[in-house]
Amino acid sequence: MSQPLMLPQGWEARWDAQSSAYIYIDQSTGQSQWELPTNPSYPTSHPSASPPPNPASAPANAAPSRHGRRQYPTAQIQQMYGSAYEAQPQVGQPQPLTAPGYPDQGGAQQPQFFTPGLGGADAQQPAVYGSQQAPYGGAPQQPAYGQPPAYGQQPVEQISNQFQQMNMGQKGGAAYGADQKQLHQIQTVNLIGMQPDVSALDSPPPPYLLPPNAAVTSSPHIQPHPSYQRCTLTSMPTTQSLLNKSKLPLALVMAPHRSYRESDGDEPVPVVEDAVIARCRRCRAYINPFVTFIEGGNRWKCCMCGLSNEVPQLFDWDQREGKPADRWARKELNHGVVEYIAPTEYMVRPPQPPVYAFVIDVSQPAIQSGMVAVAARTILESLDNIPNADNRTKITIIAVSTSLHFFSLPAGATEATMLVVSDLSDVFLPKPVDLLVNLTESRPAIESLLGRLSDMFQDSHVVGNALGSGLQAAHQLISKIGGKIVCLTASLPTMGEGALKARDDPKLLGTSKESSLLNAGSSFYKTFAIECSKQQVAVDMFLFSTTYTDVATLSCLPRYTAGQTYLYPGFNASRSEDAIKFATEFGKVLAMPMGLEAVIRVRATRGIRMSAFHGNFFIRSTDLLALPVVPMDQNYVIELQLEDDIKGSFVVLQTAVLHTTCYGERRIRVVTQAMPTTDSIAELYASADQVAIATYLTNKGVERSMSHHLDDARNLITNRLGEMLSVYKNQVTSAAGASAQLAVPDNLKLLPLLCCGLVKHVGLREGSSIPPDLRSYAQCLLTTLPCQSLVPYIHPRFYSLHNMPAEAGNMGEHGVTLPPALNLTSERLERHGLFLIEDGQNIFLWVGHEAVPRLIQDVFDLPSYGELTGGKYTLPVLDNPFSQRVNNIVAKTREMRRGVYRPHLYVVKSDAEPALRSWALSLLIEDRMDHMSSYAQYLTTVKNKVGQGVLS
Amino acid sequence: MGGEGWLFLFAVLMAAVLLFTMVFFIIMFSDLECDYINPIDLCNKLNQFVLPEMIAHAFLTLCFLLSGQWLAFLLNAPLVGYNVNKIMAKNHMYDATEIFRTLSGHKKESFIKLGFYLVSFFYYLYRMILALISESD
Repeated sequence: MSQPLMLPQGWEARWDAQSSAYIYIDQSTGQSQWELPTNPSYPTSHPSASPPPNPASAPANAAPSRHGRRQYPTAQIQQMYGSAYEAQPQVGQPQPLTAPGYPDQGGAQQPQFFTPGLGGADAQQPAVYGSQQAPYGGAPQQPAYGQPPAYGQQPVEQISNQFQQMNMGQKGGAAYGADQKQLHQIQTVNLIGMQPDVSALDSPPPPYLLPPNAAVTSSPHIQPHPSYQRCTLTSMPTTQSLLNKSKLPLALVMAPHRSYRESDGDEPVPVVEDAVIARCRRCRAYINPFVTFIEGGNRWKCCMCGLSNEVPQLFDWDQREGKPADRWARKELNHGVVEYIAPTEYMVRPPQPPVYAFVIDVSQPAIQSGMVAVAARTILESLDNIPNADNRTKITIIAVSTSLHFFSLPAGATEATMLVVSDLSDVFLPKPVDLLVNLTESRPAIESLLGRLSDMFQDSHVVGNALGSGLQAAHQLISKIGGKIVCLTASLPTMGEGALKARDDPKLLGTSKESSLLNAGSSFYKTFAIECSKQQVAVDMFLFSTTYTDVATLSCLPRYTAGQTYLYPGFNASRSEDAIKFATEFGKVLAMPMGLEAVIRVRATRGIRMSAFHGNFFIRSTDLLALPVVPMDQNYVIELQLEDDIKGSFVVLQTAVLHTTCYGERRIRVVTQAMPTTDSIAELYASADQVAIATYLTNKGVERSMSHHLDDARNLITNRLGEMLSVYKNQVTSAAGASAQLAVPDNLKLLPLLCCGLVKHVGLREGSSIPPDLRSYAQCLLTTLPCQSLVPYIHPRFYSLHNMPAEAGNMGEHGVTLPPALNLTSERLERHGLFLIEDGQNIFLWVGHEAVPRLIQDVFDLPSYGELTGGKYTLPVLDNPFSQRVNNIVAKTREMRRGVYRPHLYVVKSDAEPALRSWALSLLIEDRMDHMSSYAQYLTTVKNKVGQGVLS
Repeated sequence: MGGEGWLFLFAVLMAAVLLFTMVFFIIMFSDLECDYINPIDLCNKLNQFVLPEMIAHAFLTLCFLLSGQWLAFLLNAPLVGYNVNKIMAKNHMYDATEIFRTLSGHKKESFIKLGFYLVSFFYYLYRMILALISESD
């Protein structure tokens, strides 16, 4: 059975190990060919065929050479097998690749089942397997199903068709999937009384154990890196009721426009340049590694809706070389993340140039804090870095105080002319041209303006900020093209449109009314955001507060226009640390390549529906997210629901981001991810991804804190955690009754720690001393940071520096080696030590008060601990190895994560500045603090909830 | 035809108008779900009708109060209270940024209102006929 069934007389099929395919030889002439001979065929009982080698010796996916296998014997196959060939190829996948994992599959050994139903289904199988042992146990089959030779593999097809008939009435996929499916190992660990293993926070999510042959190619890149897209569960439940029963959240966590950092070993996103975009006619899904080719490769079957589509004519054609190309080398069939260059059908208008409108607050507090000077200098220095590859970038600058100051920057002029408009109620542009100018052409005028912008307003003592009107003016200027408004303000908008009141009543803090301060205080910014989104305008907010600036209201603008909010509390440019932090981050934002006029759509296998969306964008229709500008490294969370039961053995989730690059190209970035399905709760738990779940809970918590109260948000997080663990305990470990243990699956063992960190995070923490601005800003970060930065933001990193191992701080294999991370508890703090705590936004250097003078001398260049002052600090680089190592670690901490943030470094003395000290200590989340419980107490709370779950 | 007859004739007409408004709302919501209309247009369109609808209903209720139709008044009072509460909390308008998150709630509310107006329509009709009959006696 292992060799081709029907060969014309005089032909021989011989296994070719090199290409892992049969070669057909005409014995009379000695002529050989790859395709099946088509002479009048009648079955030969056992044509002489060389047996294929053992599977182990010829690993199918090695497939070293594919040349010469480009012919698709469609006609022949159809002639012989008719439509049966097409029938249910999914069920028909014999998946011989599992052979190494299950060497004795031929029915002799029964795999273990979690669900009796599956076991039953399989019980009918042995006979079939037994009689057909050869193709399963003994004979290996060729590479992945769907590869070219597969079209010639009638035997397999036929056998599977037989199977299918025998299995009629059973759950098709399950009968097969059950005994072939690899399962995650589930390991239960107890958390009570254990120190959490914080080093495991960086460990990757559980693997996607796809059925073999799910993909048409065997490239290692068919699944996207988790930083692009990950799912809270790495196997998909087959029914919504199973999902509900498991209490696990199902959501996608993604950052499709992730930055590309060579230092992290990132691979550049492969680009499909030939504009051949194969999409499903019905569901519009893009072709991906998980489709199946049918009819000899002339058509492909969509992996989402099952529709058979024609393969585009130029799919197998290398346009550059002008010759046939290898289909299996196409990037979209080998990579989970690809970018297409889109033809004109994907454009509403010709690609627009990048446009930057700077709205700068020049009222007295802004000038005084030095914000205007630093901002102007940073823009000036970044003019070369602003994406402007084809000299199309346009720029405009509007200064705002009690009136609007426009600057006319005609091309070729060396000086800018200021035009003042003081009518704030009905904003008009004082001049039709020369306000929005080409960066290259008007460079001299722009440079001269930026050089003296701060001095221009130096003497003005006006207090008042007509920010809303300024934004409207900027919007009017750029709305025809779209682009980005960069808004810098150091005071609360008090005049014109969108004026705000200082509503931060300290009496509200810590009460249930506090959540009203986290919601927008004026509808102007929301309505304006919608207006902006319509015109493809995004807004980035840079807020420099010395007093209350109502971050909650102002951050609405970036939230709905896909921008980002940045807050610099107590900014003072005379402190070099402040100026450097802002200038670095602002410079990075300006230099960031942006995707313009973007839409994101997620498509999934039939039965899966996107039910809710979290992140900075505007939801334009039930499943279309509109982003005027896609910023890099911003995180989105999309909740999924199962509308129908899922039948296949795997599902595919595909995110497509259509955007215009700042270099004038329309591109589509497609992230495709496939997940196996399962109908066992144990498997769901074993495949849960703790980081993705924590990200999901973060977003849900922040949403709840705005719609309800902060209390509800914390309860939501703890309750969801309790529910999950309760189901796990009852359904998976089947331990009944109360116990002294808190059982969690090994892959979720840090979820309680992350949840504990979350409820104690400044964005959600209980307490009456957190300024609403800081809270709002923390919530902005919580909902936009990608997982890589979010995890340390919730669970800071803690290193001990005074006794770090010798290799720490020196260059290692992957850059600077960091010391081992410690548990976040003050038990680890020693009186003579030097510690570093960082959460990606701030770095605290904790100095024990008994630190030896030598240490202080080596690191700070000061004679003793007493001389050291706490607060923002710039570490001196000294000529001793220890100082260099500490500096290396700080530098590494600042640059190791994606995103523009440059953390401040604070020196914290263990016995001075109580405010700073308690801030640093509040990051040690395993400790008890004020009335917030310690990690151990939190676990007890969760355990009690799990216990209650048993009763109810 | 006496005062009561005229009042309930007016009420029947008002209830019919309100009924149609609700049908319109529901159609618009399903259009949004089917992607025939974008959320911005939807909100702009619907928000024009939110206050008129509430005012019309409140006016009708006021008429019942002034004419001493206690049962009809009590029937309508809870909805007036609900509407006033919504206006006080400033969440009576549809918000394009949140509409997809709150869509199911809005639809449910519209359906309940539709049912309420339907019931009150027939009640007013019944009362109108009753009034006409008692007059002709």
